[in-house]
Amino acid sequence: MGTDRYAYASRLRRMDPVAKILFCALVLGVCLCCGGIAPGLATLLMMGLLSVFWGGVPGKVFLKFLTVPLAFLALGCLTIVVNAHPQGTPVLAGLSVGSQVWGITRDSAFQGLAILSKSLGAISAMYFLALNTPMTDVTLGLQRLKVPQLMIELMDLIYRFIFVLWDTAAAIRTAQDSRLGYTGFRRSISSLGSLSSMVFLRAWNKADAIYSALESRGYTGSLATMAQTYQPGKTCYLIAPAVGFVQLLCCWLEVRYFG
Amino acid sequence: MKRSLVNTYFLMALVCLIPLQAHAMHIGEGMLPASWSIAWGVVCLPFVLYGFRSIGKRVNATPKVKILLAMCGAFAFVLSALKIPSVTGSCSHPTGVGLAAILFGPTITSVLGLIVLVFQALLLAHGGITTLGANTFSMAIAGPIVSWLVFKGLKKVNVSTAVCVFFAAALGDLATYVVTSLQLGVVFGGFVKFLGVFALTQIPLAIAEGLLTVVIFNILEKYSKTELQELEVV
Repeated sequence: MGTDRYAYASRLRRMDPVAKILFCALVLGVCLCCGGIAPGLATLLMMGLLSVFWGGVPGKVFLKFLTVPLAFLALGCLTIVVNAHPQGTPVLAGLSVGSQVWGITRDSAFQGLAILSKSLGAISAMYFLALNTPMTDVTLGLQRLKVPQLMIELMDLIYRFIFVLWDTAAAIRTAQDSRLGYTGFRRSISSLGSLSSMVFLRAWNKADAIYSALESRGYTGSLATMAQTYQPGKTCYLIAPAVGFVQLLCCWLEVRYFG
Repeated sequence: MKRSLVNTYFLMALVCLIPLQAHAMHIGEGMLPASWSIAWGVVCLPFVLYGFRSIGKRVNATPKVKILLAMCGAFAFVLSALKIPSVTGSCSHPTGVGLAAILFGPTITSVLGLIVLVFQALLLAHGGITTLGANTFSMAIAGPIVSWLVFKGLKKVNVSTAVCVFFAAALGDLATYVVTSLQLGVVFGGFVKFLGVFALTQIPLAIAEGLLTVVIFNILEKYSKTELQELEVV
Protein backbone atom coordinates (compact mmCIF):
# COMPACT_ATOMS: atom_id res chain seq x y z
CA MET A 1 0.00 0.00 0.00
CA GLY A 2 1.26 3.48 -0.82
CA THR A 3 4.90 4.07 -0.06
CA ASP A 4 5.32 0.89 1.92
CA ARG A 5 5.64 -1.38 -1.09
CA TYR A 6 8.76 0.43 -2.27
CA ALA A 7 10.25 0.72 1.20
CA TYR A 8 10.65 -3.05 1.39
CA ALA A 9 12.58 -3.05 -1.90
CA SER A 10 14.81 -0.13 -0.96
CA ARG A 11 18.58 -0.54 -0.79
CA LEU A 12 18.58 1.40 2.48
CA ARG A 13 16.09 -0.94 4.07
CA ARG A 14 18.67 -2.57 6.32
CA MET A 15 20.09 0.72 7.51
CA ASP A 16 19.55 1.72 11.12
CA PRO A 17 16.08 3.37 11.18
CA VAL A 18 17.13 5.81 13.92
CA ALA A 19 19.70 7.33 11.56
CA LYS A 20 17.13 7.73 8.80
CA ILE A 21 14.54 9.24 11.14
CA LEU A 22 17.03 11.75 12.54
CA PHE A 23 18.25 12.61 9.04
CA CYS A 24 14.69 13.18 7.85
CA ALA A 25 13.88 15.27 10.93
CA LEU A 26 16.93 17.47 10.47
CA VAL A 27 16.23 18.11 6.79
CA LEU A 28 12.54 18.78 7.49
CA GLY A 29 13.38 21.16 10.30
CA VAL A 30 15.93 23.16 8.33
CA CYS A 31 13.67 23.26 5.26
CA LEU A 32 10.78 24.54 7.34
CA CYS A 33 12.81 27.16 9.16
CA CYS A 34 14.51 28.49 6.03
CA GLY A 35 11.42 29.00 3.94
CA GLY A 36 12.09 30.66 0.61
CA ILE A 37 12.23 29.26 -2.89
CA ALA A 38 15.88 28.18 -3.22
CA PRO A 39 16.17 26.08 -0.02
CA GLY A 40 12.92 24.27 -0.84
CA LEU A 41 13.96 23.42 -4.36
CA ALA A 42 17.46 22.43 -3.19
CA THR A 43 15.93 20.10 -0.61
CA LEU A 44 13.63 18.62 -3.22
CA LEU A 45 16.53 18.01 -5.56
CA MET A 46 18.86 16.56 -2.94
CA MET A 47 16.34 14.29 -1.25
CA GLY A 48 14.99 13.18 -4.62
CA LEU A 49 18.45 12.28 -5.88
CA LEU A 50 19.34 10.55 -2.62
CA SER A 51 16.16 8.48 -2.73
CA VAL A 52 16.65 7.52 -6.36
CA PHE A 53 20.40 6.94 -6.56
CA TRP A 54 21.21 5.95 -3.00
CA GLY A 55 17.98 4.26 -1.97
CA GLY A 56 17.25 2.76 -5.38
CA VAL A 57 13.68 4.01 -5.57
CA PRO A 58 12.71 4.16 -9.27
CA GLY A 59 12.70 7.78 -10.44
CA LYS A 60 9.26 7.42 -11.96
CA VAL A 61 7.87 6.20 -8.65
CA PHE A 62 9.33 9.14 -6.77
CA LEU A 63 7.84 11.59 -9.26
CA LYS A 64 4.49 9.83 -9.15
CA PHE A 65 4.39 10.11 -5.39
CA LEU A 66 5.33 13.79 -5.60
CA THR A 67 2.22 14.48 -7.63
CA VAL A 68 -0.06 12.95 -4.98
CA PRO A 69 -0.05 15.93 -2.62
CA LEU A 70 0.65 18.36 -5.46
CA ALA A 71 -3.00 18.83 -6.37
CA PHE A 72 -3.91 19.78 -2.85
CA LEU A 73 -0.83 21.96 -2.50
CA ALA A 74 -1.74 23.87 -5.64
CA LEU A 75 -5.18 24.57 -4.23
CA GLY A 76 -3.81 25.65 -0.87
CA CYS A 77 -1.27 27.95 -2.46
CA LEU A 78 -3.80 29.44 -4.82
CA THR A 79 -6.05 30.27 -1.89
CA ILE A 80 -3.13 32.03 -0.27
CA VAL A 81 -2.12 33.80 -3.46
CA VAL A 82 -5.50 35.14 -4.58
CA ASN A 83 -6.50 38.19 -2.59
CA ALA A 84 -8.94 41.07 -2.78
CA HIS A 85 -7.29 44.34 -3.73
CA PRO A 86 -8.74 47.82 -4.21
CA GLN A 87 -9.58 48.69 -7.81
CA GLY A 88 -6.53 49.75 -9.79
CA THR A 89 -3.93 47.59 -8.07
CA PRO A 90 -1.52 46.13 -10.63
CA VAL A 91 -2.40 42.44 -10.75
CA LEU A 92 -0.92 39.67 -12.89
CA ALA A 93 -4.33 38.11 -13.37
CA GLY A 94 -7.60 38.86 -11.70
CA LEU A 95 -11.30 39.51 -11.82
CA SER A 96 -13.18 42.66 -10.95
CA VAL A 97 -15.77 42.04 -8.30
CA GLY A 98 -17.68 45.20 -7.40
CA SER A 99 -15.20 47.78 -6.19
CA GLN A 100 -12.44 45.24 -5.71
CA VAL A 101 -10.12 43.18 -7.82
CA TRP A 102 -9.63 39.56 -6.83
CA GLY A 103 -6.33 38.47 -8.20
CA ILE A 104 -2.66 37.67 -7.96
CA THR A 105 -0.09 40.39 -7.47
CA ARG A 106 3.62 40.06 -7.96
CA ASP A 107 4.30 39.81 -4.24
CA SER A 108 1.62 37.25 -3.53
CA ALA A 109 2.74 35.12 -6.49
CA PHE A 110 6.20 35.14 -4.96
CA GLN A 111 4.82 34.18 -1.58
CA GLY A 112 2.84 31.34 -3.16
CA LEU A 113 5.89 30.02 -4.97
CA ALA A 114 7.90 30.16 -1.76
CA ILE A 115 5.29 28.11 0.11
CA LEU A 116 4.98 25.67 -2.78
CA SER A 117 8.70 25.00 -2.97
CA LYS A 118 9.05 24.83 0.79
CA SER A 119 6.27 22.24 0.88
CA LEU A 120 7.78 20.23 -1.95
CA GLY A 121 11.10 20.22 -0.13
CA ALA A 122 9.46 19.02 3.07
CA ILE A 123 7.48 16.36 1.19
CA SER A 124 10.60 15.01 -0.49
CA ALA A 125 12.34 14.77 2.88
CA MET A 126 9.36 12.87 4.26
CA TYR A 127 9.34 10.60 1.20
CA PHE A 128 13.00 9.81 1.71
CA LEU A 129 12.04 8.27 5.03
CA ALA A 130 8.77 6.72 3.85
CA LEU A 131 10.15 5.19 0.64
CA ASN A 132 13.26 3.74 2.28
CA THR A 133 11.98 2.55 5.64
CA PRO A 134 9.22 -0.01 6.16
CA MET A 135 6.74 1.05 8.83
CA THR A 136 7.81 -1.70 11.23
CA ASP A 137 11.33 -0.25 11.17
CA VAL A 138 9.98 3.26 11.72
CA THR A 139 8.16 2.14 14.85
CA LEU A 140 11.29 0.34 16.06
CA GLY A 141 13.28 3.51 15.48
CA LEU A 142 10.70 5.53 17.39
CA GLN A 143 10.94 3.03 20.21
CA ARG A 144 14.68 3.57 20.40
CA LEU A 145 14.01 7.30 20.42
CA LYS A 146 12.04 6.77 23.65
CA VAL A 147 8.49 7.14 22.36
CA PRO A 148 6.18 5.53 24.98
CA GLN A 149 5.81 1.77 24.71
CA LEU A 150 2.01 1.85 24.54
CA MET A 151 2.10 4.18 21.53
CA ILE A 152 4.60 1.91 19.76
CA GLU A 153 2.53 -1.21 20.42
CA LEU A 154 -0.65 0.47 19.23
CA MET A 155 1.12 1.66 16.09
CA ASP A 156 2.49 -1.81 15.37
CA LEU A 157 -0.88 -3.46 15.88
CA ILE A 158 -2.81 -0.85 13.90
CA TYR A 159 -0.33 -1.13 11.06
CA ARG A 160 -0.80 -4.90 10.89
CA PHE A 161 -4.58 -4.69 11.15
CA ILE A 162 -4.85 -2.07 8.41
CA PHE A 163 -3.88 -4.63 5.79
CA VAL A 164 -6.35 -7.20 7.08
CA LEU A 165 -9.24 -4.72 7.00
CA TRP A 166 -8.08 -3.19 3.74
CA ASP A 167 -8.43 -6.54 1.97
CA THR A 168 -11.87 -7.10 3.49
CA ALA A 169 -13.03 -3.64 2.45
CA ALA A 170 -11.63 -4.02 -1.06
CA ALA A 171 -13.37 -7.38 -1.55
CA ILE A 172 -16.73 -6.01 -0.37
CA ARG A 173 -16.27 -2.94 -2.54
CA THR A 174 -15.64 -5.03 -5.65
CA ALA A 175 -18.66 -7.20 -4.89
CA GLN A 176 -20.88 -4.16 -4.43
CA ASP A 177 -19.50 -2.42 -7.48
CA SER A 178 -20.10 -5.42 -9.72
CA ARG A 179 -23.74 -5.40 -8.59
CA LEU A 180 -24.11 -1.70 -9.48
CA GLY A 181 -23.95 -0.67 -5.87
CA TYR A 182 -22.37 2.68 -6.62
CA THR A 183 -24.68 4.11 -9.25
CA GLY A 184 -26.30 7.24 -7.93
CA PHE A 185 -25.90 9.09 -4.68
CA ARG A 186 -28.50 7.26 -2.57
CA ARG A 187 -27.26 3.84 -3.49
CA SER A 188 -23.64 4.84 -2.99
CA ILE A 189 -24.33 6.06 0.52
CA SER A 190 -26.23 2.93 1.49
CA SER A 191 -23.60 0.64 -0.06
CA LEU A 192 -20.80 2.50 1.63
CA GLY A 193 -22.70 2.42 4.89
CA SER A 194 -23.15 -1.33 4.82
CA LEU A 195 -19.53 -1.77 3.76
CA SER A 196 -18.24 0.32 6.65
CA SER A 197 -20.41 -1.35 9.25
CA MET A 198 -19.49 -4.83 7.98
CA VAL A 199 -15.81 -3.94 8.09
CA PHE A 200 -16.32 -2.72 11.64
CA LEU A 201 -18.04 -5.96 12.64
CA ARG A 202 -15.34 -8.05 10.99
CA ALA A 203 -12.71 -5.98 12.75
CA TRP A 204 -14.40 -6.55 16.06
CA ASN A 205 -14.69 -10.30 15.55
CA LYS A 206 -11.16 -10.52 14.32
CA ALA A 207 -9.91 -8.66 17.37
CA ASP A 208 -11.81 -11.18 19.50
CA ALA A 209 -10.21 -14.10 17.68
CA ILE A 210 -6.74 -12.58 17.83
CA TYR A 211 -7.10 -11.94 21.52
CA SER A 212 -8.16 -15.54 22.15
CA ALA A 213 -5.21 -16.78 20.12
CA LEU A 214 -2.81 -14.52 22.00
CA GLU A 215 -4.24 -15.40 25.38
CA SER A 216 -3.88 -19.11 24.72
CA ARG A 217 -0.21 -18.45 24.02
CA GLY A 218 0.36 -16.66 27.28
CA TYR A 219 -0.32 -13.03 26.36
CA THR A 220 -0.17 -10.82 29.42
CA GLY A 221 -0.42 -7.41 27.88
CA SER A 222 2.68 -6.78 25.80
CA LEU A 223 3.88 -8.13 22.50
CA ALA A 224 7.65 -8.50 22.60
CA THR A 225 9.40 -9.18 19.31
CA MET A 226 13.07 -9.55 18.47
CA ALA A 227 14.62 -6.56 16.75
CA GLN A 228 16.38 -7.15 13.46
CA THR A 229 20.03 -6.38 13.11
CA TYR A 230 20.69 -3.26 11.10
CA GLN A 231 23.67 -1.83 9.31
CA PRO A 232 24.99 1.15 11.23
CA GLY A 233 23.80 4.45 9.78
CA LYS A 234 27.23 6.09 9.54
CA THR A 235 26.73 7.31 5.97
CA CYS A 236 23.46 8.88 6.99
CA TYR A 237 25.11 10.81 9.79
CA LEU A 238 27.79 11.97 7.35
CA ILE A 239 25.37 13.08 4.65
CA ALA A 240 22.98 14.83 7.04
CA PRO A 241 25.21 17.81 7.90
CA ALA A 242 26.16 18.19 4.23
CA VAL A 243 22.52 18.39 3.16
CA GLY A 244 21.73 20.77 6.00
CA PHE A 245 24.67 22.94 5.01
CA VAL A 246 23.55 23.17 1.38
CA GLN A 247 20.04 24.12 2.54
CA LEU A 248 21.38 26.88 4.77
CA LEU A 249 23.72 28.05 2.01
CA CYS A 250 20.81 28.32 -0.42
CA CYS A 251 18.83 30.22 2.17
CA TRP A 252 21.71 32.64 2.75
CA LEU A 253 22.30 33.14 -0.97
CA GLU A 254 18.64 33.82 -1.59
CA VAL A 255 18.41 36.38 1.19
CA ARG A 256 21.70 37.98 0.13
CA TYR A 257 20.98 38.34 -3.58
CA PHE A 258 17.23 38.28 -3.95
CA GLY A 259 16.03 39.29 -0.48
CA MET B 1 -9.33 41.65 -25.34
CA LYS B 2 -6.12 40.11 -24.10
CA ARG B 3 -6.93 41.21 -20.57
CA SER B 4 -10.33 39.54 -20.60
CA LEU B 5 -8.80 36.38 -22.05
CA VAL B 6 -6.36 36.22 -19.15
CA ASN B 7 -9.25 36.72 -16.78
CA THR B 8 -11.25 33.95 -18.40
CA TYR B 9 -8.35 31.56 -18.07
CA PHE B 10 -7.99 32.62 -14.48
CA LEU B 11 -11.64 31.84 -13.79
CA MET B 12 -11.41 28.51 -15.60
CA ALA B 13 -8.35 27.55 -13.56
CA LEU B 14 -10.25 28.34 -10.38
CA VAL B 15 -13.22 26.23 -11.43
CA CYS B 16 -10.93 23.32 -12.33
CA LEU B 17 -9.54 23.34 -8.84
CA ILE B 18 -12.86 22.65 -7.13
CA PRO B 19 -12.71 18.85 -7.53
CA LEU B 20 -9.29 18.93 -5.90
CA GLN B 21 -10.93 19.40 -2.54
CA ALA B 22 -10.42 15.70 -1.87
CA HIS B 23 -7.92 16.08 0.94
CA ALA B 24 -8.64 19.64 1.89
CA MET B 25 -9.08 18.64 5.51
CA HIS B 26 -5.41 17.85 5.86
CA ILE B 27 -2.93 20.67 5.92
CA GLY B 28 -0.14 19.51 3.63
CA GLU B 29 3.46 18.86 4.59
CA GLY B 30 5.46 22.06 4.99
CA MET B 31 2.51 24.42 4.58
CA LEU B 32 2.80 25.94 8.04
CA PRO B 33 5.81 27.87 9.32
CA ALA B 34 7.97 26.17 11.93
CA SER B 35 6.63 28.28 14.80
CA TRP B 36 3.01 27.35 14.10
CA SER B 37 3.86 23.69 13.53
CA ILE B 38 5.38 23.53 16.99
CA ALA B 39 2.64 25.64 18.57
CA TRP B 40 -0.13 23.31 17.36
CA GLY B 41 1.87 20.33 18.53
CA VAL B 42 2.09 21.86 22.01
CA VAL B 43 -1.65 22.60 22.00
CA CYS B 44 -2.38 18.94 21.21
CA LEU B 45 -0.07 17.59 23.87
CA PRO B 46 -2.37 17.77 26.93
CA PHE B 47 -5.27 16.17 25.04
CA VAL B 48 -3.15 13.33 23.68
CA LEU B 49 -1.44 12.75 27.03
CA TYR B 50 -4.81 12.61 28.77
CA GLY B 51 -6.04 10.14 26.15
CA PHE B 52 -2.93 8.05 26.66
CA ARG B 53 -3.37 7.90 30.39
CA SER B 54 -6.98 6.82 30.10
CA ILE B 55 -6.08 4.14 27.52
CA GLY B 56 -3.19 2.99 29.69
CA LYS B 57 -5.50 2.59 32.67
CA ARG B 58 -8.01 0.57 30.68
CA VAL B 59 -5.32 -1.62 29.14
CA ASN B 60 -3.95 -2.41 32.57
CA ALA B 61 -7.40 -3.38 33.78
CA THR B 62 -8.24 -5.55 30.73
CA PRO B 63 -5.46 -6.41 28.26
CA LYS B 64 -8.02 -7.15 25.56
CA VAL B 65 -8.74 -3.44 25.21
CA LYS B 66 -5.41 -2.93 23.47
CA ILE B 67 -6.29 -5.33 20.65
CA LEU B 68 -9.78 -3.87 20.32
CA LEU B 69 -8.48 -0.31 20.20
CA ALA B 70 -5.88 -1.25 17.61
CA MET B 71 -8.62 -2.74 15.45
CA CYS B 72 -10.65 0.44 15.89
CA GLY B 73 -7.65 2.50 14.81
CA ALA B 74 -7.15 0.36 11.72
CA PHE B 75 -10.87 0.68 11.00
CA ALA B 76 -10.59 4.48 11.20
CA PHE B 77 -7.69 4.42 8.75
CA VAL B 78 -9.52 2.21 6.25
CA LEU B 79 -12.69 4.29 6.60
CA SER B 80 -10.80 7.49 5.87
CA ALA B 81 -9.26 5.93 2.77
CA LEU B 82 -12.63 5.00 1.23
CA LYS B 83 -14.10 7.28 -1.38
CA ILE B 84 -17.37 8.92 -0.44
CA PRO B 85 -19.69 10.37 -3.09
CA SER B 86 -20.70 13.97 -2.65
CA VAL B 87 -23.92 15.69 -3.62
CA THR B 88 -22.03 17.92 -6.04
CA GLY B 89 -20.70 14.91 -7.94
CA SER B 90 -17.14 15.25 -6.79
CA CYS B 91 -15.57 12.63 -4.64
CA SER B 92 -13.90 12.83 -1.30
CA HIS B 93 -12.99 10.80 1.74
CA PRO B 94 -15.04 10.59 4.91
CA THR B 95 -13.18 11.91 7.92
CA GLY B 96 -14.71 9.35 10.26
CA VAL B 97 -14.50 12.06 12.91
CA GLY B 98 -18.13 11.76 13.97
CA LEU B 99 -18.32 7.98 13.99
CA ALA B 100 -15.12 7.60 15.97
CA ALA B 101 -16.20 10.20 18.51
CA ILE B 102 -19.61 8.57 19.00
CA LEU B 103 -18.23 5.05 19.24
CA PHE B 104 -15.05 5.60 21.24
CA GLY B 105 -15.44 9.00 22.91
CA PRO B 106 -13.14 11.99 22.39
CA THR B 107 -10.30 10.92 24.70
CA ILE B 108 -9.57 7.67 22.90
CA THR B 109 -10.20 9.24 19.51
CA SER B 110 -7.44 11.77 20.12
CA VAL B 111 -4.81 9.03 20.45
CA LEU B 112 -6.16 6.82 17.67
CA GLY B 113 -6.51 9.89 15.44
CA LEU B 114 -2.90 10.85 16.04
CA ILE B 115 -1.67 7.40 15.00
CA VAL B 116 -3.95 7.29 11.96
CA LEU B 117 -2.65 10.69 10.89
CA VAL B 118 0.96 9.48 11.16
CA PHE B 119 0.14 6.55 8.91
CA GLN B 120 -1.76 8.73 6.47
CA ALA B 121 1.21 11.08 6.25
CA LEU B 122 3.81 8.36 5.77
CA LEU B 123 1.86 5.82 3.70
CA LEU B 124 -0.47 7.99 1.64
CA ALA B 125 1.09 11.47 1.82
CA HIS B 126 -2.14 12.97 3.16
CA GLY B 127 -1.15 15.60 5.66
CA GLY B 128 2.40 15.60 6.89
CA ILE B 129 4.85 15.11 9.69
CA THR B 130 5.49 18.81 10.18
CA THR B 131 1.77 19.62 10.19
CA LEU B 132 0.91 16.66 12.38
CA GLY B 133 0.12 18.90 15.33
CA ALA B 134 -2.26 21.14 13.41
CA ASN B 135 -4.00 18.21 11.74
CA THR B 136 -4.30 16.31 15.00
CA PHE B 137 -5.89 19.31 16.63
CA SER B 138 -8.49 19.84 13.91
CA MET B 139 -9.29 16.21 13.10
CA ALA B 140 -8.56 14.21 16.23
CA ILE B 141 -9.39 16.75 18.94
CA ALA B 142 -11.64 19.66 17.92
CA GLY B 143 -13.89 17.75 15.50
CA PRO B 144 -14.48 14.74 17.77
CA ILE B 145 -15.16 16.94 20.81
CA VAL B 146 -17.81 18.86 18.87
CA SER B 147 -19.33 15.62 17.55
CA TRP B 148 -19.40 14.06 20.98
CA LEU B 149 -20.92 17.13 22.63
CA VAL B 150 -23.58 17.40 19.94
CA PHE B 151 -24.38 13.70 20.25
CA LYS B 152 -24.63 13.76 24.04
CA GLY B 153 -26.53 17.05 24.03
CA LEU B 154 -29.15 15.94 21.52
CA LYS B 155 -29.44 12.59 23.27
CA LYS B 156 -30.33 14.40 26.45
CA VAL B 157 -33.23 16.31 24.88
CA ASN B 158 -34.63 13.02 23.57
CA VAL B 159 -34.13 13.38 19.86
CA SER B 160 -34.19 10.14 17.84
CA THR B 161 -30.81 8.43 17.54
CA ALA B 162 -30.65 8.89 13.77
CA VAL B 163 -30.99 12.66 14.10
CA CYS B 164 -28.39 12.74 16.89
CA VAL B 165 -25.94 10.77 14.78
CA PHE B 166 -26.55 12.86 11.67
CA PHE B 167 -25.95 16.18 13.39
CA ALA B 168 -23.01 14.88 15.41
CA ALA B 169 -21.24 13.63 12.27
CA ALA B 170 -22.11 16.59 10.03
CA LEU B 171 -21.28 19.23 12.63
CA GLY B 172 -18.08 17.43 13.64
CA ASP B 173 -17.04 17.44 10.00
CA LEU B 174 -17.85 21.14 9.69
CA ALA B 175 -16.05 21.97 12.93
CA THR B 176 -12.97 20.23 11.59
CA TYR B 177 -12.97 22.32 8.47
CA VAL B 178 -13.63 25.57 10.33
CA VAL B 179 -10.62 24.82 12.53
CA THR B 180 -8.51 24.00 9.46
CA SER B 181 -9.53 27.28 7.84
CA LEU B 182 -8.69 29.07 11.06
CA GLN B 183 -5.28 27.42 11.21
CA LEU B 184 -4.50 28.51 7.66
CA GLY B 185 -6.16 31.90 8.09
CA VAL B 186 -4.14 32.79 11.18
CA VAL B 187 -0.91 32.20 9.30
CA PHE B 188 -1.69 33.54 5.85
CA GLY B 189 -4.47 36.03 6.61
CA GLY B 190 -7.98 35.88 5.26
CA PHE B 191 -9.80 33.39 7.47
CA VAL B 192 -13.06 34.20 5.67
CA LYS B 193 -11.42 33.49 2.32
CA PHE B 194 -10.36 29.99 3.36
CA LEU B 195 -13.75 29.41 4.91
CA GLY B 196 -15.44 30.46 1.68
CA VAL B 197 -13.29 28.29 -0.55
CA PHE B 198 -13.75 25.24 1.63
CA ALA B 199 -17.47 25.87 2.20
CA LEU B 200 -18.14 25.35 -1.51
CA THR B 201 -17.54 21.65 -1.28
CA GLN B 202 -17.36 20.98 2.40
CA ILE B 203 -21.00 21.57 3.27
CA PRO B 204 -22.31 18.96 0.81
CA LEU B 205 -19.57 16.64 2.03
CA ALA B 206 -20.57 17.16 5.63
CA ILE B 207 -24.15 16.26 4.73
CA ALA B 208 -22.97 13.17 2.86
CA GLU B 209 -20.84 12.13 5.79
CA GLY B 210 -23.76 12.70 8.17
CA LEU B 211 -26.02 10.45 6.07
CA LEU B 212 -23.31 7.81 5.78
CA THR B 213 -22.74 7.78 9.51
CA VAL B 214 -26.47 7.35 10.11
CA VAL B 215 -26.54 4.35 7.76
CA ILE B 216 -23.51 2.81 9.47
CA PHE B 217 -24.92 3.43 12.91
CA ASN B 218 -28.31 1.95 12.03
CA ILE B 219 -26.73 -1.27 10.80
CA LEU B 220 -24.46 -1.47 13.82
CA GLU B 221 -27.37 -0.93 16.14
CA LYS B 222 -29.32 -3.68 14.43
CA TYR B 223 -26.64 -6.35 14.22
CA SER B 224 -24.15 -5.62 16.92
CA LYS B 225 -25.92 -4.45 20.02
CA THR B 226 -23.53 -6.46 22.19
CA GLU B 227 -20.42 -4.89 20.65
CA LEU B 228 -21.84 -1.43 21.09
CA GLN B 229 -22.62 -2.20 24.70
CA GLU B 230 -19.12 -3.52 25.16
CA LEU B 231 -17.81 -0.27 23.71
CA GLU B 232 -19.54 1.65 26.45
CA VAL B 233 -17.28 -0.28 28.78
CA VAL B 234 -14.17 0.22 26.64
